[in-house]
This record gives sequence, structure tokens and C-alpha cells, in this order.
Amino acid sequence: MKYVIIGNGVAGIHAAEAIRHLDAEGRLTLIGDETFPPYCRPMISMVLEGATPPERLPIRSTDFYRRLGITPILGRRVSGIDVEARVVRLPGLEDGIPFDRLLIASGADPRPITADGLHLAHIFYMRTERHIREMLDAIPTVKTALVLGGGLVGFKAAYGLLRRGIRVTQLIRSAYPLSMQVDRTAGEMILNELVRKGLDVRVGLSAAAFHGNGRVEGARLSDGSEIACDMVVIGKGVLPALSFVPRDRIDVDLGVLVNAHMETSVPGIYAAGDAAEFVDIARKTRWVNAIWPEAAAQGRAAGMNMAGRPVALKGSLSRNVIRIFDMDVMTGGWVDPPESAGFEILSRHDRRRKTYRKLVLDGRRLVGMAMVNDIAQGGLLISLIQNEVPLRISGNALLSSGFNYRQLLN
Amino acid sequence: MKQVVVHPERCVGCMQCMLACATAHSKTLHLFTAVREDPLPKPRIHVGAGIHGEGFPNRCRHCDPAPCMLACLPGAISRIPETNTVVIDPDTCINCASCAMACPFGVIRYHGDAAAPPGKAVAVKCDNCTARQKKGMVPACVEVCKSGALTFEEPASALGRKTREVARSVSRDAGGEPIAPGFALLNAVKRSQIEMEKR
Ligand SMILES: Cc1cc2nc3c(=O)[nH]c(=O)nc-3n(C[C@H](O)[C@H](O)[C@H](O)COP(=O)(O)OP(=O)(O)OC[C@H]3O[C@@H](n4cnc5c(N)ncnc54)[C@H](O)[C@@H]3O)c2cc1C
Ligand code: SF4
Ligand code: SF4
Repeated sequence: MKYVIIGNGVAGIHAAEAIRHLDAEGRLTLIGDETFPPYCRPMISMVLEGATPPERLPIRSTDFYRRLGITPILGRRVSGIDVEARVVRLPGLEDGIPFDRLLIASGADPRPITADGLHLAHIFYMRTERHIREMLDAIPTVKTALVLGGGLVGFKAAYGLLRRGIRVTQLIRSAYPLSMQVDRTAGEMILNELVRKGLDVRVGLSAAAFHGNGRVEGARLSDGSEIACDMVVIGKGVLPALSFVPRDRIDVDLGVLVNAHMETSVPGIYAAGDAAEFVDIARKTRWVNAIWPEAAAQGRAAGMNMAGRPVALKGSLSRNVIRIFDMDVMTGGWVDPPESAGFEILSRHDRRRKTYRKLVLDGRRLVGMAMVNDIAQGGLLISLIQNEVPLRISGNALLSSGFNYRQLLN
Repeated sequence: MKQVVVHPERCVGCMQCMLACATAHSKTLHLFTAVREDPLPKPRIHVGAGIHGEGFPNRCRHCDPAPCMLACLPGAISRIPETNTVVIDPDTCINCASCAMACPFGVIRYHGDAAAPPGKAVAVKCDNCTARQKKGMVPACVEVCKSGALTFEEPASALGRKTREVARSVSRDAGGEPIAPGFALLNAVKRSQIEMEKR
């Protein structure tokens, strides 16, 4: 059996390990355009912040490929897939790489923005360890930074730069940060905390143009105002990295569509991680949940299926945990559904203790939750959402932190 | 290999296990001196009080596959195959709480620990008293639990006994396994309260 995996991120690595676990003989090739050892992408913001040295990033040792008998092809970008001939195309490689089973685990690329002056130096995206190295090279000369986007990455960039003692202005389109992950109450709690720590947040704005002499010196905002900055970080979300996928042959929406076995519309070709579009358990519709634990689980499942053990996943679930300054935030499932969805919403906000808990219920089924500063039991709630367990205790009982474990777990 | 088995129906909520656990994971290993250590030793087993005051000793189940292990960002969580124990390496842990998000039992806490670098908060959970087991001792929580809510045994034998218990409890004159004295009544009261609340 010839296995080929495109992408040496967490999804690809877990798939390779699962394949090797079940099939010691098969030929396994892993193609990735990053040459750094397989590493923890979420941790790059900790390197930016200075809390972790870059040497701590790898999640597998350098002899990983050798130990597992993997042929790595690193530093090369896949340019196409020939579905008929069952071959992966790489520039400069005439015959390409033949496969019996293929995994697309190419992850995602930062969503590009349109603005004038994007060619200037000191304008960064934040996705790879290389991006961070470039940012660190720039930082000694930086006094003020502009961060675009109020999502997880923009937010972590702003936090990291603040911790470096840089004055940061963050532009976000919505009324509060992390609007995809949290609801208004939690979002405003986070915003207040950041503002208290010195972040300058401007809502309802974006950048229209950048100017400077070689490197960026300032930006013109969508309302016509000007702002000076020595550095820009663009964190406007991500898009699945699928430039090499033949869309006329493999079904693609935002990500590559997969079934419960992580298989695409073409038998023998699989997808996992940020590149894949699966069903969301809470929303019950197709969704790309671009998060680490999902990429690991999907990669693992894809690998098992590729090696012939039919395992099925139920769907993916958005969930996140963010710890910044003195704040812990955990969210899962559908946190902020539109009113028309008709869900029951329960919440408890203790302003004095700065805690917040919110549950979203569809009848007896928990579909969403958010917790601020009170997260220890959050995993239990997330597993209730994930497993669609009908609740045996009232939502209000579940809302108090001393809820009855025995009744839930027995 | 032997595992800690939890029998929540026998828990009297005395929290002795918490004290024993904290002591077993302190620097000095003695309750007397442990209370003066910095960081203050904390338990890895948590007796949650239910809404009717009943106890539930909650500890890591060392799941296989372990959701926390898949979710851990830097790969700080691994399994010791010999004792089937899921452990967290405090040096690698970045205190990100991804494991709390993944653990369906809510058993992971975050704080300083005798085994962690000084001043660093890390994820802490039950390690099956690996250090004690190496010395031939049973886990500390089991040693102190006098009501039989925590036992250390082969999972297969625990399963067999559970099956017998269930079988016996459905037969008409079922006596059931003796549970902690007085608690049968208390549990009955609680159960009826729960029933009432449901209506
Ligand atoms: C700053 C930051 C912080 C984050 N924080 C969190 C967090 O706290 N929690 C969380 O759950 N998630 C977080 N994420 C998201 C998480 O990192 C991703 O969900 C996860 O890495 C996805 O893994 P993957 O294997 O699908 O893709 P990736 O990790 O993107 O790996 C894909 C690999 O494929 C390679 N590749 C792509 N195209 C090609 C090609 N054509 N040819 C060859 N190779 C190719 C890429 O270079 C890359 O190495 C964060 C992401 C970032 C950037
Ligand atoms: S910490 Fe939780 S998820 Fe991890 S092994 Fe223990 S019980 Fe299972
Ligand atoms: S808190 Fe520590 S052990 Fe838990 S997921 Fe994060 S790094 Fe891993």
C-alpha cells in the first residue's frame, strides 16, 4: 500500500502515526513545505510574547520520520493531484508521487486583505514559526503596532506584542473581540480586561492603505483617519489551503468535503484538519472548525481509515480555551445562536467575582456553552454537547458550579 | 494490572482521600509539614458535593484513548504503559487548559506543584500515585478510604463483582453489597428529592 500525506502539521502527523500503528509495511510519504520539525502552531504566539523559546515549539523529535519509516519531502509545495492517475504533482518532479491512499492535510493560510501598500516591510501575517522569526527580527525597532482583526490570532498577536512592551492598537470590525467564539457579555469582559492592561481597541474599523518609506510607518483607516505604526499584523482569519486541489474532481466548498470516515468524494482520498469541511455537531450543518484538537482527532481517524480500520467520527465541534492576563475563557458549540433558532438560553453573570456561565439548550440537549473565570468543569459540558447526551438534571442546576456529578455521570 | 476503581454509591463525603492525595504529592510527604510547604500541596482527587450533599469522588480515569492527550498542544501528556497511567509532564506543560476542555470528567486543575518548576502554574491531575506504586504501595486515596468507595483491584474482577451486584439487586430479596452505614437511608431520601425536583 502506498500512502501519501500532504501537510506536516498536526493532522498529517497524527495520520502518519495512526497509519504506522496499523500498517508497519506500507510505503508512507509525507510532503510539507515547512522544514522546521513538526511543531505546535498555537504556541507561536507564546514565542512572540517571549514566554517560550522557539526550541520548545516542536511536538515531535527530529528523528520522527526515520523512526516511523516515513519518507519526508520537506520544503516543497504540492502543485496538483491527478485523480485518474492517482499521482500527486510536485514542481520539478516529472512523474509525481503515486498513491493508493492520499490525505489532504494542508491546513489553512491566513485570509489575505486588500489594501494599498501591502508590499511594505514590517507587515506580517501570523501563521508559521517563520512569520514569528521575522516579527522578532523587527521588534527591536518597533514602538507602536497595529493589529487587524479581532479573532483568536489577532487577539493573541495583540497580547504578545503588549507583553513585549509595544503600544498596540487593535482594529476590529465587530463590537467586541472574539465575536466568532464568544457572546457579547463574555466579549465585553475580555475587552475590558485588555483595555485595562493598556490595549487600544477600536471597533467598527479596518485599514484601507499603508504607507511608509520601504517599511510601514502608518495606515489610513476606513473612516479616513490616519494612525502611525512601525509594524502591522494581519489576523483576519484563515482559509483552507487548497490551491492544488482539482475542484472539478474533488468536492470542495470552503474546505474539502468529507464524510464520517474523513473520506472525500473520491474513494481513497481523505482530508483532515483545517483543510477539511465536516458536519458541526452543534449546528448540524457543514462547517470548517479550524482548531487544534479537531485537527489531531480528524488526522488520527483519517489515518486509521486509510490503513483499513473503519472508524467514524460523529462530526466536529467548535471549542476554544483562552487564557490571557488574569482571565480564563472557555467556549464550546453554538455559543451565540440567532434568536430564530429558538434555543433556551441560561446564564449567570457575577460581576463582583467576574465570572460568567452560559448554556444554550435545545430541549434537553446542550448545544453551546461559555464560561469565564470558572472553567474547571467545562470539559464535562463540552462532552455533553459532543456526545449529545440528553440532560438528566435541569439546566439551572448545571449552571451552578457545584452541579451534581453523580447524576450526570452515572 | 490493578487500577483504582471508584464506587460513588459508597462515598460518605469525608474527603479523607483529598487530604491523603495532597500529602502524597507534597515535598515532605507528611501532613504535618506539608501544610507549611510552598506551593501548598493540593489534592488530585476531588470530592464534589452533589446538590443533596452526597459525595462523588472524582479522579482521572486514565482513559484509553485519552481525550486530554489528543488535545494537549505541546504534547505534555503521555501514557506510562506499565501502569496504564496518563501523566502530565510539568516541564512541557504550557498551562493552556486545552486538557480541561477535553476532559469529560473535569478532573484537571491548574496551580503550582512540588513537581513543577518553582513559580510555574501547570496542569495537575491524578498520576495513580506512580511514585508510591514503585515502592510497592497502593495509591494514597485507596489506602485511607474507609467506606470502600475507592478500591485498588484488577478491572476485570471489579467488573465481575459489579455484574453480580446488579444481578443480586434485581432479584426480589436483594440485599445488595453493604454500603456505608446510614447512607442507604440518606441516599433513598436524596433520590426521592431528586424525583420530586424532576416533576
Ligand atoms: C497563532 C495561532 C494560534 C492558534 N491558537 C490555537 C489555539 O489556542 N487552540 C486551537 O485549538 N487552535 C489554535 N490555532 C489553530 C491550529 O493551529 C490549527 O487548527 C491547526 O494547526 C491545524 O492543523 P492542520 O494540520 O490541519 O494544519 P497546519 O498546522 O496548517 O499544517 C498544514 C501543513 O501543510 C503544509 N502545506 C500546505 N499546503 C501545502 C502544499 N501545497 N504542499 C506542501 N505542504 C503544504 C503547511 O505548510 C503546513 O505545514 C492557532 C493557530 C495560529 C496560527
Ligand atoms: S484527565 Fe480526563 S480525559 Fe485525561 S485521562 Fe484523565 S479522565 Fe481521561
Ligand atoms: S494545560 Fe498543560 S497538560 Fe493541559 S493541554 Fe495545556 S500543555 Fe497540555
